[in-house]
Formats: sequence, structure tokens, C-alpha cells
Amino acid sequence: MLLLDYQNVLIESLLKDRFSPDSTPSSIDQVVSDFDNVTFHISTPNSKTQILISIAVKCYPELVKYGADAVLQREYGPYIVAPEQGYDFSVQVDLENLPAEQEEKDDLIRRISLLKRNAMAAPFEQAFDEYTSLAEQASHYTSETAPQGVREGGEVRAIHYRDQEAIYVKASHDRVTVIFSTVFSDETDRIYGKVFLQEFVDARRRAIQNAPQVLFRNDPPLELQGIPGLQSGKDKIGYITFVLFPRHLTPQRRYEVISHIQTFRDYFHYHIKASKAYIHSRMRKRTADFLQILRRARPEAEEKERKTASGRTFRVQA
Amino acid sequence: MATQTPAVVMDNGTGYSKLGFAGNDSPSFVFPTAIATKGPGGGGGSAGSGRPAVGNKPSFLTGGAGPTGHLSAKRGTEDLDFFIGDEALTASAGPGYGLSYPIRHGQIENWDQMERFWSNSIFKYLRVEPEDHYFLLTEPPLNPPENRENTAEIMFESFNCAGLYIAVQAVLALAASWTSSKVQDRSLTGTVIDSGEGVTHVIPVAEGYVIGSSIKSIPIAGRDITYFVQSLLRDRGEPDSSLKTAERIKEEFCYVCPDIVKEFARFDREPEDRFKKYEVKHPNGRSVSVDVGYERFLAPEIFFNPEIYSSDFLTPLPTIVDSVIQSSPIDVRRGLYKNIVLSGGSTLYNQFGRRLQRDIRHLVDARIAASEVRAGNAAKSGGLDVQVITHRRQRHGPWFGGSLLGQTPEFRSYCHTKAEYDEIGPSIVRKFALLGGPGST
Amino acid sequence: MSQSLRPYLSAVRSTLTAALSLSNFASQASERHNVPEIEAKTSPEVVLNPLTVSRNQEERVLVEPSVNSVRVSLRIKQADEIEHILVHKFTRFLTQRAEAFFILRRKPVPGYDISFLITNFHTEEMLKHKLVDFIIQFMEEVDKEISEMKLFLNARARFVAESFLTPFD
Repeated sequence: MLLLDYQNVLIESLLKDRFSPDSTPSSIDQVVSDFDNVTFHISTPNSKTQILISIAVKCYPELVKYGADAVLQREYGPYIVAPEQGYDFSVQVDLENLPAEQEEKDDLIRRISLLKRNAMAAPFEQAFDEYTSLAEQASHYTSETAPQGVREGGEVRAIHYRDQEAIYVKASHDRVTVIFSTVFSDETDRIYGKVFLQEFVDARRRAIQNAPQVLFRNDPPLELQGIPGLQSGKDKIGYITFVLFPRHLTPQRRYEVISHIQTFRDYFHYHIKASKAYIHSRMRKRTADFLQILRRARPEAEEKERKTASGRTFRVQA
Repeated sequence: MATQTPAVVMDNGTGYSKLGFAGNDSPSFVFPTAIATKGPGGGGGSAGSGRPAVGNKPSFLTGGAGPTGHLSAKRGTEDLDFFIGDEALTASAGPGYGLSYPIRHGQIENWDQMERFWSNSIFKYLRVEPEDHYFLLTEPPLNPPENRENTAEIMFESFNCAGLYIAVQAVLALAASWTSSKVQDRSLTGTVIDSGEGVTHVIPVAEGYVIGSSIKSIPIAGRDITYFVQSLLRDRGEPDSSLKTAERIKEEFCYVCPDIVKEFARFDREPEDRFKKYEVKHPNGRSVSVDVGYERFLAPEIFFNPEIYSSDFLTPLPTIVDSVIQSSPIDVRRGLYKNIVLSGGSTLYNQFGRRLQRDIRHLVDARIAASEVRAGNAAKSGGLDVQVITHRRQRHGPWFGGSLLGQTPEFRSYCHTKAEYDEIGPSIVRKFALLGGPGST
Repeated sequence: MSQSLRPYLSAVRSTLTAALSLSNFASQASERHNVPEIEAKTSPEVVLNPLTVSRNQEERVLVEPSVNSVRVSLRIKQADEIEHILVHKFTRFLTQRAEAFFILRRKPVPGYDISFLITNFHTEEMLKHKLVDFIIQFMEEVDKEISEMKLFLNARARFVAESFLTPFD
């Protein structure tokens, strides 16, 4: 697996199963987690045919501030119900009242399984819109004559989606800057992470000219000046800045870009872990090789030690 | 942390892996513990058998013990190119991928593959950041401590999981039975009958600790019942006697009867109630109808009368259970008889528990009567309570037990955390405080 | 093999071969004990002078001989943070499996990355020159492995970064 999925696999497979014509409705009650401290509750509280899907996001108040309501309203319109106790947002589908066409059904499944993506998309969409209007305004001025607001760009939207980590989104007239702050809890992760981030920074220069510009530093970048609650200095925290250029911000590409950039943190940490797993397997192999060499030091007639399936050892009698 | 993230419960068995979050009543994902990697499969380990190896799939044996590819060939990104679970089965049907099962006889054989299996389980299916979650894993009884250490090494060093608890499957199966109304005291003493696809284990547990010396296994389990059903269908010349049909019939129609002879008579008396029909739908739209007859009660009967199926294993399950308990320390036997817990898919037949209870009780009563006679009827026994617990969570018993214990507030204090691991090293997982034991709620 | 590696390894080889003349020697400090004198250090008269073979500032081998045991400690080259962590991980992984390696010491001597302890019982059971071969081969391959792992990490990082950024293209 290279890239992470955008959608929640459990919701997707569950709905696919329930939506198929020859499945019998049955009760569900599952609380499941997703990345970034998101919790889903999938249940059938009233009747077996009504599936209620609720989402709890740690930073939901912030998302609402940046227009999550509108985005969710647009995506889920008729399916929205009052949020379940303890959750931030709920949708309900009635199996007896599904769209008739298979295509529409699939679309509904896809939309619901992207619930987390859509909830988190609001600040990005808002920033993209702001960029469009700023760009519009800026086109009337040259860079010297532009009034303060246009030149500096809009406010910084902060999404504190994890305890110590946040995403900051800032729009200006020629770009949208997305900054991830990320914390390494482990020394090994920090060092591996540095290697990875260096390659992210270099990738654009080397191979992919049209990719967003990536910057990495340990102290908060200038864009975040004046934002409260920023940690800096130490090696443990890093700030990764993605600069999205106008070519990434066209309406046609917006949807994909938002989905993709959201997964950055988890993608990044996933690959650190996958590399560790690979290095582990190398070490296992190498250890076995060393053992082989050492075994050669034993004279041939030595009695052999064998292993049973349960891992115990015994000696073969000569 | 403001809101506690639910613990992740993973029960990796020989055949199937059960993954989910603590607090739920069923696992979120159940899929085969299989991994499809580039190149030919079956790498790693010979099919060595210390445990009973009944029904070892031939594909395991043909896999060979070849090394898992040379390091030089793995420079690139081949280690990311793999599938697990059902996707692995699909991928291995096509060209280019080989299928392997990293767990054999309940124990992890191929750590490289298992590490990747876990990685994909966590990041693709469960979608969690392991740093945020505590993990509850299971292990078979008699798992060597080195295996635990290897598991801890992977979970903490590769995945940085926040905390880890490794529980014995049989103990979790006991905990799962607490949901049954028949269980009054939540004790961790009892006999677990764990019957899955490949093998059936009878495991005595005293105060949360497995009595390793008394464990017995029976080479009869789900797969054998399926084969038996299939052979009966073939003998009758039914239009469809594929393994899949046999399996469906087994799951839908089979039950345990109190007495075979009477059951045959009853079938003859009321044929219209007893004989069933099973419709097999072919993918091309045609369907054939298969008669379902005596195999309804004969198939699970092989647990109680193995001679009708096998010629080399002839001890009935109740006798095995009785001898397991008799070989356990005398002071726990009463508790073991009182709490016989079923776990695994092959214990789900209707009336299975009742028949087992009756048969064991017969054995016990006969022994008591005999000893009373030998004592010249001078001493009267107070009798022995035999109780087989059937409960609703039997199918994924160990997983459900894990889910139950994983959501308790004190679960986290029983785990070893990443910080403790970093300080002490893998040997830390040799010892775990007993979760759900005396003293906890 | 690079220019300075060959003399380095051959120096280690001759030192080890010379040091590995061990004999059974019961403890003088406590009755009926037979302990590696280099570890116990209770009788200074049977502990010989330690010897360091250095290739450069980063890489060196410490050989501490005694009458019935030799302790060999390696310092593996660590040019940067990444190599440091990889060496640390790898040596930890090996010592974790010290049981299987017979001569591997569970803890390195301070200032070194990995230590071996060879006693007279080992030289009696195993072929002496093969033991020396093992240590020499170990030294060669460890360096190779560490640099290969580092290369892998860089290659993987590049691949991962490019795959993430490609969809933006």
C-alpha cells in the first residue's frame, strides 16, 4: 500500500453490504476510530433499516467556524439529522428509502465514507475561495500599489486536530499556504522523519516541477507570526509548509487537492513506520546470516539443536 | 488526553484475524490471516508440527522452505507491494502474487510477513495512528516468551503504539462468557473448549492462568465437519456436493441431537419437518436443489462419536474434557467442571452445549457412583456440578473477551507503555498483571 | 575493500588470534567458581593488558585478554545522526538475540557499540580460527549493512516524497 485511502473502509464496506438488494437488515452498533482523533459511531438506534452514522472530531468547533456546516449541508443535505449525544454531526440513511439507481447508491456510499474528509475540508475550501477573491482584487493593482490587506493575504485558519499538532491554512492573492505542525514522540521517528522531509523539500527541484513547494523548519514559519500557542525551537516539533500555487487551486482540481493534502501527516507517519518494518526485516535476515557464520565455528559432528512448532528446542540424539 | 481513544483489539488466529475496537460487541473486520506478496508464496518455515496438524492444507506443504527472496532483490519498494485478508486471496488468484499464512498452529512463524500484516491492518483497515491507541493482542496458550518479545519489539519499535497488553486467548474466552446469564461470579477459572476451523483445544484455566500440562487437542474441527457433510452428499449423489455447498449446509441446518437412534426414528416419522432442501444458486443464474437429510445431526455428531468419521482418532470430546479436568490439580477441578466455556465457530451448533453437559455429567456421576461402591457405600458424595456455558459471543469469543476487558477503565494501567518499554526493553512483556483477575471489577 | 580497511582487519585478526589462547582457570576469589576473569577482575595478575586497534577516530576495537576469557568490543562507524540510530537499532536487535549467539555480550562495554565475550569454554567447543573469522566478517558486514540501510532509507524517502507530490502535478 503506497497512498492512504481517503475514505473510511469500514463505513464503505458496511454500507455496500447493507445497500445490496439481497442483504437482510440487522442491527449495528460500532464505535470506530479514524486517523486524527476522529471517532465514528455507526448504529441502528430506531429500526434495523435506519443506519445512523455520527462523527466526533476534536476540532469541530474550529471547523464550524471555518464553514463546515455549509460544506456538510452541501454534501449530505437531506440525510442530515440532529447530532447524536456526544457526537458532532450525524447522518442517517434509510435502507427502505434509497436512491433507485445503482450509481446514485454508490455515490451515496462514497459520500458517507468520506465524512471525515468532508468535515475537515471546510477550512481549505474557505481558504481557496478567499484566494480566488484576493486574486481577483490583486489583478487590479501592481505589487507596489496594492493595499495592505490584499498584499498580506487573509487570516490564518488554525485547525488543532490533534493534541499537539495543527494544520494552518492561509490564503494570499497568489498562493494558499498549508502548514502542518508535527510532533515526533520517538527519537528514531524524528531522525527518519528528517530524512523523509528533506526529500519532500528536494522532490520539487529534482523531479516534479509542478508540485507544491515544500519547506521544512523546526521553528514556526513567518506566516504564523502572532498565532498563540506555537511551540518552537526544539527538535521534537517540525513545521512543514506546502505552498499551493494557482495551478493547484483551479476549481477542477480543488476536490482532489484537498483530499490529498489532508492525508499528508498520516501518510508521512505511515511511511516512517513502514520503513522501520522493512529495516526490521533486513536486520532479521542479517542476524540469521551472522548466526550461520558463527555456526560454522562449531565442529561438524556437533549434535544439532532443533525447534518444534511451538518454539521449544530439543536435541537430536546422535 | 481529553477523550480516551478506544483500545484496538486484534486477535490473529491461524485461519482468521479479528480486528476491532474495544467496547464494540463484534469485530469491525474479520478476514483470513493471509498475505499476498510479490513472487511465489509459502516462504518461511517448514510445515513443522509439534501441535496436531490435522487438515494441514496441502498448499502449506508445497510452499517449501525457500528463503523469502534475496536482500539485493528488495532494494526498491517491493515491501510495500502486498495485500492482506480477502484482498490477498483475490490477488493471489491472479499472476505475480504468492499467498502465505504467517501464522501456523496459532503461533507466528514469519515475523517479516506478520509485521507487514499488522502494518496494513492498522493503517489501511483500522485507520488509526498507533501512537494514540493502546493495543490488546492475543496469543495461544503455551506461546514461548520469545514470541511475546518479538511481538513487543514490533509493536513498540516499528509502530510506537502507546501501550500493549498480550492476553491468552483461552482466558479471554472465559471473560467473554461473563455475558451469559448463567455466569454469576466473574471468575477466571474454567475449562475452555476452543474449536475453530483447523483444530479443537481443551484448555483448563485456573485463576486466569493456563494449566499448560493438561491441555489436550483433538484433530476434529470445522473443516472435518465440512468434509463429512460433503462425503454424505457425494454418497447420496446430490447434484451439487462442492465444499462451499457443504459448508453452507453445515452452517444453516446442522444441530446436535440427544440420541442418534431416536433421531433417525424421528426423521422417519416426520419426514416433512425434518428433511430440508437447500437451493444452490450458480453464478450463471441456474439453481439446483440439494436435499438435506441425516447429515443435519450426523455431522456435528463426530465430536461425540468420532468413529463415524475418523478411523484413527476415536476418543469422544466429553471423555477428553473429563480427562483434561482429571489431570488438573485437584483443588481446581470443581471450578473447572462448573464452568466449561465454549468458544469458536464449531461450537455454535444448536444443543451442542446441552449434549456436552449431559455426557460429561454421565461420566462424572458414573465415577462417583463407582467410588461410592468401592467405599462400601459408607461415604456419600455430595455430587459434582457440571455446567457447560453457551453464550451469544461464542463465535469470536477471544476477541469479544478482549473487547470487554479493553474497555474497562483500569485496562490502561495493566498495559505496558512505550515509555516502560524504552526503559526496560522487550523482556518487559514476559510479565503482565492479570487483567480481569481478582481485585479488578 | 578500501585501502585502510585491509591492514585494520588484519591487525585485529592477529591480535585476536594471539589473545585467544585461553585455558581453564578456576576462580581464586571464591571456591568452586569458574568465572571469566576479564569480567570478574578479582585477580589482577591473570588479567592482561588491554589493547586498542584503531582505524580512525570513529572505528576501533578494544581487545581485553585474560587467562580464561577475552572481551572484544567494537566501535562501529557513525558518521551522522542516521547512522547513529541505525547502529543503535541494529546492535540492540542483535543483543536481544544474544542467547543464540553464544559469544555476544548482552551489554556493550561503555564507549563501544557491541561487545563479545569469548571464554575458554567457547574455544573448547568451537574452532578458534573460525571464531576469529566470525568477528572479522561481522566487522566487515556491519559497516556494509549500516550503509545499505542508510541508502535504503534515502531511496525510500525520495520515493515516498515523489509519490505524494505526483498527484499534484
